[in-house]
Amino acid sequence: MENRIVRELSDIANNPYEMARRQRAASGQKIIGSTLADVPEELIHAAGLLPFTILGTNRPIRRASALLPDNACSLSRSDLELVLTYETDLFDGFVLPQVDDTTQHLSDIWRRKIPTSFFECYLIPRQVDRPSARQWLLDETNRLKASLEKFTDRKISNDELHKSIVLYNDNRRLLRKIYDLKRQDGDIIGNRAFFELIKSSMFLPEETHTRELRHLLPQLEKKAPSGANKGLRFVVAGIVWEPPAVMTILDELKINVVGDDLCTGTRHIANDVSTDGDPVAALVERHFKKGPFSPIHNRGNRIQENLVDLVRRYGADGILYLHLKFFESQDYDLPDLKQGMGEEGIPMYVLDTEYQTTHLAQVKTRVQAFAESIRGE
Amino acid sequence: MNESTPGKPRVKELMKKLTQDYYGDAARAHNEDRFVAYTTAVSPVELFVAHDVIPIYPENHSVMCITKRMTTRLSTAIEKKGYTTHLCAYARSDLGYRELGESPIGGLPDPDFLLACNAQCFTLTKWFEVLSRRYGAPLFVFDTPQYIRNKKARRNIIRYVEAEIYELITALENLTGKKFDYDRLREVLIYSRDACRLYKEFLDLAAHKPSPVNIFDALIHMAIIVYLRGTPQAVQYYQGLVDEIRREKVAQGIGVIPNERFRLYWENLPVWFKFREHANLLASYGAVILTSLYVHSWSYDFDVSDPIRTLAENYTSVFSNVELEERAERALDLFQRYDLNGNIMFLNRSCKAVTFGEHELREILTQRTGIPVLLFESDMGDPRFYSEVQVKTRLEAYFETLERLNV
Ligand code: SF4
Ligand code: SF4
Repeated sequence: MENRIVRELSDIANNPYEMARRQRAASGQKIIGSTLADVPEELIHAAGLLPFTILGTNRPIRRASALLPDNACSLSRSDLELVLTYETDLFDGFVLPQVDDTTQHLSDIWRRKIPTSFFECYLIPRQVDRPSARQWLLDETNRLKASLEKFTDRKISNDELHKSIVLYNDNRRLLRKIYDLKRQDGDIIGNRAFFELIKSSMFLPEETHTRELRHLLPQLEKKAPSGANKGLRFVVAGIVWEPPAVMTILDELKINVVGDDLCTGTRHIANDVSTDGDPVAALVERHFKKGPFSPIHNRGNRIQENLVDLVRRYGADGILYLHLKFFESQDYDLPDLKQGMGEEGIPMYVLDTEYQTTHLAQVKTRVQAFAESIRGE
Repeated sequence: MNESTPGKPRVKELMKKLTQDYYGDAARAHNEDRFVAYTTAVSPVELFVAHDVIPIYPENHSVMCITKRMTTRLSTAIEKKGYTTHLCAYARSDLGYRELGESPIGGLPDPDFLLACNAQCFTLTKWFEVLSRRYGAPLFVFDTPQYIRNKKARRNIIRYVEAEIYELITALENLTGKKFDYDRLREVLIYSRDACRLYKEFLDLAAHKPSPVNIFDALIHMAIIVYLRGTPQAVQYYQGLVDEIRREKVAQGIGVIPNERFRLYWENLPVWFKFREHANLLASYGAVILTSLYVHSWSYDFDVSDPIRTLAENYTSVFSNVELEERAERALDLFQRYDLNGNIMFLNRSCKAVTFGEHELREILTQRTGIPVLLFESDMGDPRFYSEVQVKTRLEAYFETLERLNV
């Protein structure tokens, strides 16, 4: 996998901060940081700002422990730590989405502890099964738009927003195409490399990232499926693929990830925004087309149905569920989900993960044991 | 003085009777073709009452499990099924009850409908999702975005929540096949308004010196406002309660403890299984815990001229759903009105919704009051996470500090 573009995007996925600083110095654009998930980057982009997703840190937690109790998920703690300790001067403002108790409190703490000239929360509806949620998200997205306009002291025209939407659609489409290639043959691009393509799109200016993908796609298309890779096919579930070594381990074990429901995966690249009509309404529409996310309530047993569907559609052999410790919504889902998968006859392994994980050898042994159990070894 | 006058039972007896009637009604509900809805303590229950759907509060049942010290056992049963000890002790007690069938009151009727209002917490949504799957009953998530201090956002939020109330009404009509009666809603809301006012009046008696009530009383008498809001019985109950305390305590200057020295605020929910012991221990220092924002969660102020609007506003602006600064202001208001001089802040493993902002809250409260804080971590319902020795030592040290400062 010695592809230049892949390597460069991978470097950015692993350390995006220097790049972002250079970018800001060069373009003079302000950087707006957002935590996961679902903040419409198109809107921030159309305001002439650089959207940047804050994805925690694996460096030690120091100050965050005095602000958030240690039974808060490690994503929220490491997000806070990142901006409090490690990247204190990178951001010009923040948009923090709220989906649960943790994000709600995080938002309050953040606003109080991190001085910035722009802070906005984005209050995502926690139910998506009734019409009221659509109107609410439309109101809230328009409020965010107005707030960004006030900050930049200029209007976001429909035309600008439309252009941003087209750009982001292109980016998502390219990533989905590469995902399709990967599904055909895991040798075309590895798991870590592919998911780092997605991750880097959450940091890099979208124009740059899309340009790189445009070059990359034909190069990957040229690699004819070798058919040599007879490894297992997995669906990965959860919110983030942390620690990143998880993907490397899957690569080492020749397991191909063919589907996922991650916020740093499919949730980020699935579905385009319609380019017809009111662009804000179109952004809102996309939100309701996204796959299920544990804290957001929907009718039926959507998380399970979606995973079963992914497994069947892509012929996966099993599910690796990355359970982020203290992610309470997952804690409530898991027992029923395990039982449900048992009834469906789909092997699922729940791997407890955390930022700042150190016991990677153990992780490997576990994933390997799961793979062996599927192969009947 | 202690005998009950005919026709005017003492409140304690009245509470017993109301509770028995309520659970009796609930137990018979399905035989009488009535509908049962599980709902959260903070939720627009007036709609259920007005529509003759019996509201059941699994949280209340869990409190009973906790005070009967059943939680560890119940929790262990579901830990075997893969639930973790990180979950709220109410949820663990409840799911454990579903597993083992053990209950201090012979169980709860199964739900036909569930409602989770997330102004209180998100935990309830996830817990009720589990129940919804288990019983095949629909779950209505009553979503209340954080009531941030932004005028525009607030207008939109209320509009959203009002729309949800109409959706809820439609859902109830579909459930029962019966048209919703808005006149009846207004009637129920008047009862709610009156009961909530009286409840608040009862809580505010703690402003007297010495205080005739402590938080322990508040926690006991809170039950009725939680599950009988919207009924004439609740109004009658709190009227009786306030009258009785005024007559028997306030008028005679009788306080909860004889030598009241320290008047304390308590942050968070109580450590339910330890509260009585805490009260006794504190009394030995001349200390009494008077209030908390938690018990004030049901001091709603309904404006019956616009029922839908007032329901939306009241249930969205509960202390656990406002910005931290606003929550602090509400606490500071209690410090001032009740003339408090001590502050115990409990970091409750069970309740992320109330606990996660607490370090910041502490900072604001100490800055604004100058009153030292006793902060301790434990769990409101699971004795496995409670250290007797630690709490005692901390309390002793805390009162030494207060005495030294001569507050
Ligand atoms: S608990 Fe889950 S949704 Fe909430 S902040 Fe943590 S990772 Fe995000
Ligand atoms: S104790 Fe807290 S987490 Fe548990 S149900 Fe009540 S509000 Fe929710």
